[in-house]
Formats: sequence, C-alpha cells, structure tokens
Amino acid sequence: MKQKKVLKRATPYLFILPWIIGFLVFTIGPLIFSLVMSFFNWPLAADPEFVGFGNYMEMFTSDKQFFKSLTISLKYAAIFVPLNMIIALFLAMLITQPVRGVKVFRTIFYIPTVISGVAVSILWGWILNGDYGVLNYLLSLIGIKGPKWLVDPAWAILAVIIASAFGVGSMMLIFYTDIKNIPIDVYEAASIDGANPARQFFSITLPIITPTILFNLITSIISSFQQVTLVMLLTGGGPLKSTYFYGLYTYNNAFKHHKLGYASANAWVMFVIILCLTALVFKSSSAWVFYETEAGGAQKKAKKGGKR
Amino acid sequence: MKKKLATMLILALTGTMVLSACGSKEDDGKTSDGKVKVRFASWDEAEDVDAQQATVDKFNAEHDDIEVTLEAYGGEFDTKISAGMGSNDMPDVMYMWNYPAYAQGLEPLDSYIEKEGEDYKKNFYDTLWNYNSYEGSTYGIPIGFTTHALFYNKDIFKEAGVEEPTNDWTWDDVKAAAKTITEKCDGKKGFSFQMKPDPYDYEMYLWSNGTAYVNDAGELEGNLNSDKAKEVFKMFQEMEKDEYAVATEKSGTDEFRSGNTAMYVYGSWSINTLKEDGVNFGVVNIPSFGTQPSVSILSSSGISMSKDSKNKEAAWEFIKFWTSEEMNKERIGMELPVLYSVVESEGIMDQPEYAPFYTMLEQSSDYTPASFIYESWSELSESLSLSFERVFNPSAMEDPAEVLDEAVQQ
Amino acid sequence: MKMSKVSKVIIYILLGLMALYFLSPFIYMLFTAFKTEAEAIAYPPKLFPAKWLWQNFKEAWNAQPFGTFLWNSILVTVGTTVGQVISCSLVAYGFARFNFKGKNILFMILLSTMMIPWDVTMIPQYMEFKMFGWINTLKPLIIPAWFGSAYYIFLMRQFLMGVPRDFEEAARIDGANAFQIYWKIFMPILKPSLILVGVLNMISVWNDYLGPLIFLQDRSKYTLALGLAAFKGVHETQIIPMLCITIIMIIPPIIIFIIAQKYIVEGTSGSIK
Repeated sequence: MKQKKVLKRATPYLFILPWIIGFLVFTIGPLIFSLVMSFFNWPLAADPEFVGFGNYMEMFTSDKQFFKSLTISLKYAAIFVPLNMIIALFLAMLITQPVRGVKVFRTIFYIPTVISGVAVSILWGWILNGDYGVLNYLLSLIGIKGPKWLVDPAWAILAVIIASAFGVGSMMLIFYTDIKNIPIDVYEAASIDGANPARQFFSITLPIITPTILFNLITSIISSFQQVTLVMLLTGGGPLKSTYFYGLYTYNNAFKHHKLGYASANAWVMFVIILCLTALVFKSSSAWVFYETEAGGAQKKAKKGGKR
Repeated sequence: MKKKLATMLILALTGTMVLSACGSKEDDGKTSDGKVKVRFASWDEAEDVDAQQATVDKFNAEHDDIEVTLEAYGGEFDTKISAGMGSNDMPDVMYMWNYPAYAQGLEPLDSYIEKEGEDYKKNFYDTLWNYNSYEGSTYGIPIGFTTHALFYNKDIFKEAGVEEPTNDWTWDDVKAAAKTITEKCDGKKGFSFQMKPDPYDYEMYLWSNGTAYVNDAGELEGNLNSDKAKEVFKMFQEMEKDEYAVATEKSGTDEFRSGNTAMYVYGSWSINTLKEDGVNFGVVNIPSFGTQPSVSILSSSGISMSKDSKNKEAAWEFIKFWTSEEMNKERIGMELPVLYSVVESEGIMDQPEYAPFYTMLEQSSDYTPASFIYESWSELSESLSLSFERVFNPSAMEDPAEVLDEAVQQ
Repeated sequence: MKMSKVSKVIIYILLGLMALYFLSPFIYMLFTAFKTEAEAIAYPPKLFPAKWLWQNFKEAWNAQPFGTFLWNSILVTVGTTVGQVISCSLVAYGFARFNFKGKNILFMILLSTMMIPWDVTMIPQYMEFKMFGWINTLKPLIIPAWFGSAYYIFLMRQFLMGVPRDFEEAARIDGANAFQIYWKIFMPILKPSLILVGVLNMISVWNDYLGPLIFLQDRSKYTLALGLAAFKGVHETQIIPMLCITIIMIIPPIIIFIIAQKYIVEGTSGSIK
C-alpha cells in the first residue's frame, strides 16, 4: 500500500524524466560552462584570464554597440512579434474556411517555411536590391520609384521584417491545428444564439486558443532576440548598422572577434532580459489565457458539452 | 504497467551513461588499420571539391601509412575553424588566410621549411611569405593568392567609343571614361565600387596614394585621417555623387557580369564566372593616383598546421605535396600559381587576364596591411567598415574628412 | 456552416492576395533555377528562362555526393522526429496534467533553456560530445532529441492544458492508471498535435546546417543542408546549383505536409469542416 503511494507520487516525475535526464546530460553542463566563461577574458586559442564582472562592466559602460543593438532588437521584437502573430492567426482563420481549394492555399502558405534559410536570404537580397532588384523593377513598371531597401536605414528593418514574415507558416500551422480542434458543437451553440462570424471569432475562437497564443507570443519573443541567420546573410547588420541585431552582435563577438567570454556575457544579459519579459507575459497570462484544467469561467460553460 | 515503464526509463538512463562511458576513449589519431590520420579542411566551394578530393585520393594512394580526409566547409569555413579551435579539436591541416586571428592555434613552420633547403622557399613569390607570417613566424605555406586589378567590359567601351584602359591609367582617366560611358550608354554606369568595402581590401587605395591606416607603431592619428587618405575617399564619393559610378550593395561582380557597369576593381575570383558567362572583358593594373605606381592588397591563401596535431610529420608530408609544383599546376583555373617556376613554365604572364595580378603583386611587395600591425584589428575593421559606409551609402553621404577625423578619435 | 456568396468572394480575394505574397518569391526562385547564371542576374529581370535547362538539376545533384547526404538527412530527420514526438508528449503530459512539487520551477527552467543562444553553448557542447566520442557521427544530431526539446514540450503542454479536467476523471474511476490514461485516452485525441510537432521538427531538422557543420567532419556524414551551404563560397556563390538543390529539398517536406494536414483535420471528429 505504501509502495503504491510512493509510486503514485513519483508518477509525474516519471513522465518528465526524459527531459530531466536530457537536461542534466546535455544542457546544464554547457549552460554553466558558458556562464563561467562570461567571467573570463576567453580568447580562441590562448589561456583564459579571469576578469570577474569585467565583461559585464564593459558592456554597460564602454560598449556603445551593446545599447544600440539592444534597442534595435527591442524595436524589431515590438514590430515583428505582434505583426507575425496577427498574420499567422489571420492566415490560420483563412485556411479553416470551408471553401473549395482551401487545401491548396494551405500548402502554398506553408511552402516558404520549408525553404532553407540560406537560399531564402540570398533570394531576398536579389529581390530587394535597390538598383537592380526585381521588386523595384516591378514598381518602376507601374511608375513608382522603389526605395533602396537594403541601403536606406529607414527601410532596411522593414525589409528584414518582410523577409522574415515569409516564414510565418509554422505559427500559422500551430494556430490552425488548435482552431481545428475546437469542437463543432461550440460553434453550433453560438450560431443558434445568433452570433455573427466576427462575434464568434472574438467570443469563442480567440478565448479557446489563448494557450497557443501564449506559446506563440513567448517563442516569437525569444526567436526575435535570437535572429541571426537572416540578417547575417541579407543585410550583414547594415546599412549603417541599422539591422545589427543583438543576436548578430553576440554571434560576431564570438566568431568574428573571437571574444568568447564577452559573447557569453552578452548572451547572459540577453537571457535575463528575455526571462523578465517572459515572466511578465506569464504573470499577465492568468488574466487572458484560459485553460480547461483550471477552475471554471464564462468561456468554460460554452464548451462544456464539447466532444473531442 | 508502471513498473515496466519505470524499468524502461531506468534502462534508458543507464544506456546513456554506458554509451557515454564507452565513447570517451581517447582518439589516438590513427585509423582502424593503423594508418596515420590527417584531417584536412578546405574552404573551397562545392564545384572545386571533387577535384580536390581526387588529388587527396592520389596522395593517399601514394602513401601507405597516411590517410588524409578532406573536409569542405565552403563559406562556413571560419565558423567551423573557430569552433574547432575553441574546443581544442582542429583539423591537422587547414587552409588559412587570417593569421592574426588564428596564429595562436597554429604551428610555426619555419623549422620545417628550413629542412627543405634554400631553394624550396625561394621558389615562392617573396611577397607571399609576409602575408603567411605573423609576428616573425611563418604559419602557412602559400597555395594561392590574388591581388586586385581593374576589370573592364570591352563591348561597352566600344559602344561608347572610348579607348580601352591600359596599365598606365590614372584615376583621372577612369573618371573621364566613366563619364563618357554613363552619358552615352543608356542605363549603364561607367564604374562601380563597393558601398561597404572590406577595410582590409580598401587600404590599397590609401597605399596607392602614399598613406595607410596606421603607421608602424599602430597609430591611426595622422594616417587614417591624413589629407591623402581623405583625398581617396573624396574621389570615390564624388564619382558616386556625380552619378557616373555606382556604389554596389555586394562585390559588384553581378552588376559587371550583367553589363550594367563598365569597370570595377576586384580580385581574380570572378575570372571563371566571367568566362563562363561569355563576358567580353579585359583586365589591367589598378589605376594610379599619378604620383607613384598603384598598389594592391593581397588576399593570400596558405595551408597551415594545427599546433595540437598529433601527426605533424604526416601533416607536413601532405602540406609539401599540396604546395608542390605539380599541385600548383593542377590548381590553375582555381588559384593563381605561387611558384616562380610554374608561372614561367605555364606561360602565365602571357595570358592577359592573369598577368596584371602578378604585376600588382610585384608592385605591392613593401606594404603590410594594418591587420598585421593593429592589435585588435577585427574590432577596428568593424568600426572602419561603418565609417566607410557613412561616406558611400547614398542615404548618408557624409563628409569624408569629418568621418575619418571622428574614426580616429574612437 | 453556411456561407453567403459575398463572404466566399471576399475569402477568395484574401486567399489570392496572400498566396501572391507567399508564392511569388518561390516561383521566381523556381524559374531562376532553370536559367543560366548570366540570365539569372540580368537586368531588367525576366521571369521565364530563355531555355529551360533541366540539366541544371542534374548537374547540381552531381556536384556533390548528394545521394549520401540525402540518406544522412533522412536518418537524422526520422531519428529526431520519432524521439521528439515520444519524449515531448510524455514530458508535456507530466507538466500539463499533474500537480507536483517543484513543477513551476522546473517548467521555468525548461523555458529558460530556450533563451540562451546556441552560439555560446556550442563550444562547451562540442567538448562534451567529443568526450562522448560522438564527434563526426550523427549521434549529437539525433540522440538529444530523444530527451525532448523545450519548444515542443511547451507547445504540447499548451494543447494538453486545453483538454477539460473531467476527461481523465471518468477514466480514473474506471480504475485506469496514469500511463493507461496517457496512452489510451490522450494519445488518440492528441494525434493532431503530435503530428504538428512531428512536422515542425522535421522541417527544422531537415534545414538545419549549423549543427551538422559543427559536429560533422567527413563528407560521407554530411546532410543535405550542409551540402547546400557549401555552394556558398567565401567570395562567390554558385547560385544556380544552390537554387536547384533548394528546390529538390523542398519536395519531401511538402509531400509529408500534404499528407499530414489530412491527419491534423481528421484527428478531431467533431470539428468544423
């Protein structure tokens, strides 16, 4: 009897055991190691030298690029995260509409996500080239002189956003899966009550998918801070360092300037910032995310009869 | 049921432990059949790798006791080498160009070279040794190089009725020709240069005008912001302002290939592509500023050995093979040969598209790039790059004098 | 659900507009792959190639041992996807359907592991894998996936949180234990999200080249994505073969996606059609 109780209490841990093992074996070591590195002057081949909080001091006091890159990344996240989520949700709603041929569109919207990042970046470089690019050529045909996308700092961040929104398919698919899993009778009940589609969306669909909204919000905040590949290949951080994102800044400190300790410090500061943002989002989430597993609310009632 | 799963998980756990314990045996640098293993990393692109593999295979066939494996990383070479060096697991032999950044992880090769006798070293173009050394030690054996030269499109010159460039052209000649071409040929630009030039490359224009980024003591003041340096930047900026030159987003090769620009300065990298495209082009020396012969930067490729290599003898054996006359000949078309004997026997100087690169090499022998002098070059390079962009980016177009004075202050 | 004609037209217009944005760069890429390099960079640009050079694909495929690379890519993709789906659903179930001591802290740690960029943990990770003797094998690319990744665990957890509590209570009264409930009751209703995780993981692993770049050495071990990246040189990029291989590489994931989307819909019998 006692044994059974122990086992029962151990059950949840057994479920999460794979991750715990993976964390202990593969993740925690390198994480701690990089934290330790951040307190060292750690060149590529020579011996490391302990500098205490030196790297962190340097970042906050003498490295101007640190604040610049941080601002750029914050700005990018502030535009990109909501925009990407709205587009993804909008597309997900579109592809759930019961019209003929919608399957084809579903695939079309997903294709860009599947294309390898290297080729996509090069392709966008061609399309957005100011003097000889396809986009400006097409614009010139209808009499518009297009901006120098990748040369004019005012346009470059927009160019990066356009190119990165191209890969919105994954998020769309996540929303789509969630929307598709809403039981039909929920809508039927609402239809009888005379709710129009817009109301249906705001009072039924949206509340039910709040858990995935939370997921997409947090993961896209993280990924927008870690954006490297696209800017590295598309703009190289330019023009005039206007797209020198924090992720690129960290990457270059590590792999171009070979200051591994300093790059680790960069990464850990970013970690703290993201962690705070995430914690804020989580704190606020109790007000707007509705989980079925929690105690009831108005939304719950509507879904109660839901057959899954 | 629960028990079964628990046992399974425990098994999985121990499995990983055992796996990791088994795997951790020390690598002794030998293959299973007792041959000495030599890892060789190259940055060549896919197209050239097959040819490389064939020559590596040839070396392996000739040596019973050594097995060289080729690793090709293309444009990601630097990331891979950095990662390898940071974790003490470098290839035994690797291509190398950025000696100031990597020298600490490389084996000094002077004693190896000495053993090969005087003539071995002498057969290489002398200037190349400077570029494969750092702080007095030689870290790489030259395998290829390129200087820069002026490429021009013969068809466009004909169309505009302008006489073709010669090896004696000055920048004034270039400007005059570019002006005429831009006026006469609709939609074409006379000249192109990079909007965001690599500071390493760009120093050649300062050299050509009798100055440099830094003096021997590594000071920027009075060098980078000297009047002569400002003159260079002003000249390029004016060409752009007057719209007979275009500042390109990338190297300028695409614009030149597609016949949108008539001239640009670049390394020998684009020759093969231009030939494939059937562009009717010519190559001459870099134009001079009129006071002294023009100078070019050297982009050199060498082959280096890791200081941690377990099989240095075998590695050197392979390096010798890779830098031999035979291999220099084999690489023609991919690399410019670096041995006097090969350049002579293959008649390279008679080929008009290659000769200027050797002339530029000889004219540039007494110059040392700032990257070999200035302590933290990679950071300086990044900030210089931004300064240059401020001068050449059409949405900035700042005054070069001010920008350079400011750059020196930092 | 019924729909008026007007709203149908509006939906088609919206679908069409979005498709234009998503499809046009892709079509441009597709057509460019058939061109010569000179044509590809010509200005003014032309959409159609002067001659459809089918041999571009053949030449690109033969430029490197892509057959071997393909096999390696399949091994890694299938290997990680199976592991990821199994472990993530288990772990996510643990986090979503139980209350236990330290749950919130553990979950926060799980999320935190996503927030440290790979650039700075890569070198210590390399040293660890070297100690295991895993360098130059596919193991570092496959085995960690069997212990779950934070991203997918988080995603599955969110789906699981959406399942009403009374669901398992009925089963528990019937005397089923936690693993039976997980397996018999939750697996079937989670099928769409399991497939979702599988698809997402497949795409990211299929296209990942940084992992293979760092952990692999011999060309016989390379994956497609790494082979693709090798077309990009230090100075010049061989753009046409690169586009050809990119297009070839799109095909398998798209096929899988088309098959998978059927199951994503079918997973829920009573959902909107």
